Amino acid sequence: MNIPQQLVNGLVLGSGYACVALGWTVLLGAARLVNFAHGQMYMLGAFVCWFMMTRLGLSYPVGILASLLALGLLGVLMQWAMLRLVMVQNLTSMMIVTLGFGYIIQGAGGLAFGGAPQNFPSGLDRMEIRFGDLWFTWQDVLILCVTLVLYVLVWVVLRSTRLGAVIRAVAEDPKLAQLFGISPAAAYIGIFVFEAVMVALAAVLVAPRTPILTSMGFDEVIITFVIVVLGGVGSVPGALVAGLGLGLFTAFFGALVSPAYTTAAAFGLLLVVLVARPRGLASQ
Amino acid sequence: MTAVLEARNLTVRYDSSVALSGASLVVSSGRMVGVAGANGAGKSTFINACAGWSRGRARIEGEVLLYGDSVRHLAAHQRSNAGLMHVPEGKNVFGNLTVTENLLLVRKPPTEPGRHYFTHDEVFGLFPRLHERRQHKGSALSGGERQMLAISRALLGAPRVLLLDEPSVGLAPRLVLEMLRQIRRLVDKGLPVLLVEQNVKATLEVVDELYLLERGLIIAQGTAAEMRGDNRIVAAYLGALGSTKTA
Repeated sequence: MNIPQQLVNGLVLGSGYACVALGWTVLLGAARLVNFAHGQMYMLGAFVCWFMMTRLGLSYPVGILASLLALGLLGVLMQWAMLRLVMVQNLTSMMIVTLGFGYIIQGAGGLAFGGAPQNFPSGLDRMEIRFGDLWFTWQDVLILCVTLVLYVLVWVVLRSTRLGAVIRAVAEDPKLAQLFGISPAAAYIGIFVFEAVMVALAAVLVAPRTPILTSMGFDEVIITFVIVVLGGVGSVPGALVAGLGLGLFTAFFGALVSPAYTTAAAFGLLLVVLVARPRGLASQ
Repeated sequence: MTAVLEARNLTVRYDSSVALSGASLVVSSGRMVGVAGANGAGKSTFINACAGWSRGRARIEGEVLLYGDSVRHLAAHQRSNAGLMHVPEGKNVFGNLTVTENLLLVRKPPTEPGRHYFTHDEVFGLFPRLHERRQHKGSALSGGERQMLAISRALLGAPRVLLLDEPSVGLAPRLVLEMLRQIRRLVDKGLPVLLVEQNVKATLEVVDELYLLERGLIIAQGTAAEMRGDNRIVAAYLGALGSTKTA
């Protein structure tokens, strides 16, 4: 086994996981909301960009922009539809409703883009970098850098700005936030749109690494769920560590044992971590 | 004296039970008005209804006016932004946020007539203890410190009128009057205050007028001097001396 290469693979895979999970982490941790349509939104984000590039002949940056815009709009619509559920913090109903949204998005995606796997070439995924035995692409570098920058940014905003304080305040007690002159409804919509745009960004960065399918959403939401729970529900640094950790685990498990059992092994890891540290990795 | 806050015929229902029926009240400029009554009399329901706010599912009927303009259709956060500042009873600061962050949430108020502006320095001057604790989280504060923080954030928002629901809860008995007197000093500088209190004796020392609530109804109202002599007040709240006299 080539250990440095597996390390690189693990970090790239893990930063992709972390990137996909960032929006959910903020949504759950900062706003106490869930979104089980996350994976299907990831799928839609990837396909919008793919459509713009392969069918309309537009460039990768334009495709990215279109994808962010489309998902942002979808985020507004979904949150608007769910606002009353959100305001009463009915998590069980929100779980079912977002799951329902997910299947609707998946069905719509199937109708619009078909059921066949598609190649999603960004251009950067074909530009290779080699150091001796080591091999990776510029797409991998882009994913890792963007993920790290986004995590630092979100961390700083949440910790040390008024906006971050508002988000944390609404998460803790939306009723009390009203008396501070804050509209929880507006805050929820903002956070949900952020989540939608983040998952679109993750999709256009991560999805070009593999063929894309309109049915790939469910795997994504499961992986995201594992990371968010592993990281300690809603902890931003925790999600980054959990994402990278899960990437490394998957890479080494795939190389040492078998790639076929990595999902089962990932859940095994989740069980072990949760038994040992019931509140996730981020707990003291 | 202009009426700053006026509640007309407020009725509040929770599901099918009526918690307040037809209560009216006026807070004029530079006045401190108290609402007193036993537990469950509807005091908090009354003051929350003025702020358009409820932790439960309150159905509010009636009119609330701020400087003569109806705020009935404004949500709680809009009333807050309009200068109707409410400090509720119970949890009234954010436990996960530091003192500084709690105060950071307050947006810079617009320059408007009728508002009473306070700077950070003035607020910390009023509550020096809060300044010492500014890096602590809300959950780490004592009951008294939480009240100070809750009142401070209301003052920073430049209130037109300040609504306080039992600011003495959680305070050591010797601090209750001190806190109420501090609020009185704000009133003397012109800030109108509506105060809900259980401690009637202490309340009567600081307020200009008092409304007495019983089972959701206002059963008496008057100036502090009048109410100090009111038999129902004396009998129920001002101790054994009064009740033996009336007996």
